[in-house]
Amino acid sequence: MENLAIEATKQTPKVSFDANNHVLEFQGESYPENMAEFAEPIFSWLDEYLEQLVAQPVTVNIELIYFNSSSSKMLLDLFDKLEEEVEKNGKNITVNWIYDADNDSAEEYGEEFQEDLEALTFNLVKKNEK
Amino acid sequence: MLANLHELKMLLDQQGIFFCFSGPMSQELMVGIGDTLRNKMKLDDANSSTIVKVFSMFVEQSQNIIHYSAEKTPPDEDKAELSSGIIGVGYDTGHYYVLCGNLINKEAVAPLCEQLAKLQSMSKDELKRYYKAQRKKGSPTNSKGAGLGFIELARKSVKPIEFDVKQIDDKFSFFSLKTVI
Repeated sequence: MENLAIEATKQTPKVSFDANNHVLEFQGESYPENMAEFAEPIFSWLDEYLEQLVAQPVTVNIELIYFNSSSSKMLLDLFDKLEEEVEKNGKNITVNWIYDADNDSAEEYGEEFQEDLEALTFNLVKKNEK
Repeated sequence: MLANLHELKMLLDQQGIFFCFSGPMSQELMVGIGDTLRNKMKLDDANSSTIVKVFSMFVEQSQNIIHYSAEKTPPDEDKAELSSGIIGVGYDTGHYYVLCGNLINKEAVAPLCEQLAKLQSMSKDELKRYYKAQRKKGSPTNSKGAGLGFIELARKSVKPIEFDVKQIDDKFSFFSLKTVI
């Protein structure tokens, strides 16, 4: 299937989903006025991708400097979906939550997502430690 | 008004408010102001963790005006393009703070006060659990965002959030909110 590539703007992250190498990445900041509108193509791509995915390991890298509360809801929906794929369909998915050492907000959000996930592997990856 | 402009500026300065905007707020405007705010705090040597938190409160409060202000242009709610309000960012004795205010409809007063009083009374742990529970639930039907903005603000604020509601006329009240980083 085709890859998904959305360029970053000031208020939306770069989205690059590679269906051949099984690497899905978000990078940047997320605080659009209308989150549902931004999320729609991402989730429909994901549905199609997960449908045809067999046993290949998938890596999801998320590196968000800042995201607003409606983006946090979108991320929860994403993790719930991935968790279900691992739990019910035996998919092999790993999420890397990447954050800068001096961004304690991003660290806390990562920890809070991690707390509520059981089947999905969710790694906290700290960058630029001093 | 020309003569009073300096007084207005002095009043803001006395309160430590280094940024203030009053008028129609939009997403585009917010993105632009947000950039300048971050730049200003960086030049003032604020640490990057603080900058993210102040920026986060500025975004939640601006989007609150955009989504929920009852002062719309044009006034017909179905066609409204712009929402007005006031937003300010200040610094006082070692803490940044963010203020916002906008008109709300009479009907919105009681549920809003109830919700905010509830948030004021919660501990950080309770706020965290409430935030997670609300996020799982999905957004309330009348909400344009995820309905998490106030909880997010209460969680990030180092002091309980302060708010005030003043009746303007028989239709509108003015709602104001302060959070501290």
